Amino acid sequence: MSSLITAGVDIGSSTSKAVILDDRQILSYSIISTSFESETSARKAVDQALSKVGQISQEDIRWIIATGYGRVIVTFANETVTELSCHARGANWLFPSVRTVLDMGGQDCKAIKCDDRGNLLNFVMNDKCAAGTGRFLEVMARVTELYLEDIGEFSLQADEVIKISSTCAVFGKSEVASLLRQGKKKTDILAGLHTAISNRVYTLLRRVGITPDFAITGGIAKNIGVVRRLEERSGLKVLLPDEPQIVGALGAALFAQDKLSNQ
Amino acid sequence: MVQSTSARKSLRTTLEVPTLRKSYYAQTLDDSKKGKKVAWCSNNIPSEILDAMDITSVFLENYATVIASKRLASGFCAAGETVGFSQDVCGYARMLMGYVLARDKVPEPPYGGLAEPDFLLVNSYSCDSRLGWFAAMSRTLNVPLHVHDAPYQPEGPSHSAADAEYIERELRSLVAFLEEQTGTKFEPDKLRARRAISRQTSDIMYEISQLRKAVPSPMGSADMFTAVWPSMYLAGTSECEEFYNRLLAELKERIDGQIGIVPEEKFRIMWSGIPFWYDMRLINYVEDFGGIVALESFYRTRERRLPPQDDDPIKDMALSSVRQRAFPSTIIASIDDILEAVKEYSIDGVILSYNPSCRMLYVSQTELQKALEDQGIPTLGLECDMADERTYSEGQVKTRLDAFVERLLAKA
Repeated sequence: MSSLITAGVDIGSSTSKAVILDDRQILSYSIISTSFESETSARKAVDQALSKVGQISQEDIRWIIATGYGRVIVTFANETVTELSCHARGANWLFPSVRTVLDMGGQDCKAIKCDDRGNLLNFVMNDKCAAGTGRFLEVMARVTELYLEDIGEFSLQADEVIKISSTCAVFGKSEVASLLRQGKKKTDILAGLHTAISNRVYTLLRRVGITPDFAITGGIAKNIGVVRRLEERSGLKVLLPDEPQIVGALGAALFAQDKLSNQ
Repeated sequence: MVQSTSARKSLRTTLEVPTLRKSYYAQTLDDSKKGKKVAWCSNNIPSEILDAMDITSVFLENYATVIASKRLASGFCAAGETVGFSQDVCGYARMLMGYVLARDKVPEPPYGGLAEPDFLLVNSYSCDSRLGWFAAMSRTLNVPLHVHDAPYQPEGPSHSAADAEYIERELRSLVAFLEEQTGTKFEPDKLRARRAISRQTSDIMYEISQLRKAVPSPMGSADMFTAVWPSMYLAGTSECEEFYNRLLAELKERIDGQIGIVPEEKFRIMWSGIPFWYDMRLINYVEDFGGIVALESFYRTRERRLPPQDDDPIKDMALSSVRQRAFPSTIIASIDDILEAVKEYSIDGVILSYNPSCRMLYVSQTELQKALEDQGIPTLGLECDMADERTYSEGQVKTRLDAFVERLLAKA
């Protein structure tokens, strides 16, 4: 059994993720829904990741770092690091050329700047508003009666982009319902919604300053409609991880590896 | 049960302030009962003049911070909202308009409430909401209002004779208004005596500000946000001068003994803007990581020496005023001041509070943050109302603070 096994656990508002590393190689990972009990979610995420490897148990993990909004509640973690530092570290490890990371999660959105070693240099986050987050897209998928994973693709099939004036999830939902009643095409409405949130998120990126290369992490990275529009706005090709949701947990597990190296 | 939200203080002198403040408010109620004239004032109304004319001054923004620090603001704000004020309106104005217009709907007011006013005094230059707020109160309470004006000083502290003359005229106009309201003649000697004390206090505060440059920090913002109170509301009194003398002595004692706020000072932060009064413990938060909020801007970023004393006390006040005032007369001069202070006080990073209900400060904070980042100074913006805790998300704020600390420690 290797003595360099570490874990990162990212307790987000929608999903909990765990990544197990052995000497900086990914052994396994898991993504589960976050329950009301952050501690339980964290344990389940780690157990699920461990079950994919077999032969190792939690006792074999030398260091565990928790991140995400629920990080302070993970009592079995050895320490905590913020998701801002973890996303910077994780994205830069996957793509060493990355200097700007946009993490679009369930309830917040972060524009992050990092150096060539993935150290956090600066960040800007959305404040008290669901626009530009997974929650906003969930609401819009529901009101258009489409699957969340399909709406990005649909938004690219539009004939026209219907201007959506409100990026507030509550008022936006009413506006979309009204447009649907008027007989507007779902694809055109979705194009408007995706354009609106992409524009809003782009202001965060502008505030932090976009330095190439640029990666998107978090669940919304799976939405091709948002990704394409951000590529258009920034004029940059977006680097997308194979599994964008685990980048925070990966960063946490890498910080745990650093801990072992320094011991 | 009101939850304590006070910052953890390190200096024994600071701990005197709550008692001073409590007795100040008790005195105002007592004065009112005895028939003394009471003025409700905005900030920057010179209390020394009022004191010299035996008028009791009550500063509404200060009372608003008292309400907020006792976590009563949401009840006061909600009362203001019931009479039509939007949540976008200044938190202080909303609270006090709630108090004035819907007193039956507000929680029990701290210190037994405010002494009722005979007239209102407002400055015209701190912000625009304040003028509308005082004008509305004047009409509602049916009491006279006097507006005190000052010239805009784009370069900050001014040496312009015209600026000083303008303020002198404004102060004389204030005196005339007060004479009319009280039927009492202004006596220059009484103001001269208070000016002498104010000048001595100003010298002490200048010395304190210089001592705070020491490493480790002998006094952080957790103390200064409270310790600044006597200078703002007891100006020109011997009580005020004695307080700062004791504070100065304590600072010297700490510096001699190399006594800092944290055991091993790893980084120093400046807090720019109004703090969040309902959670002043936030100022202590970085101390767990070896950090210290060593300096604050907004109230008195940099003390300045006063010009030589003029025998005419009104003229003396005018000359001192133009030389000292930086905020809010100009954004540019404040930024230059803060950039200088960052160097002088060995500041590693700046936290800027963004209060959407304070338009004037919000806009200038944006420009300041850009200027600091351009100079390579790490910054963190926190957006919440300064008084209304309903806008505050502790989890969000602490995640940002944690990440900012990680950023500073990675740089160290």
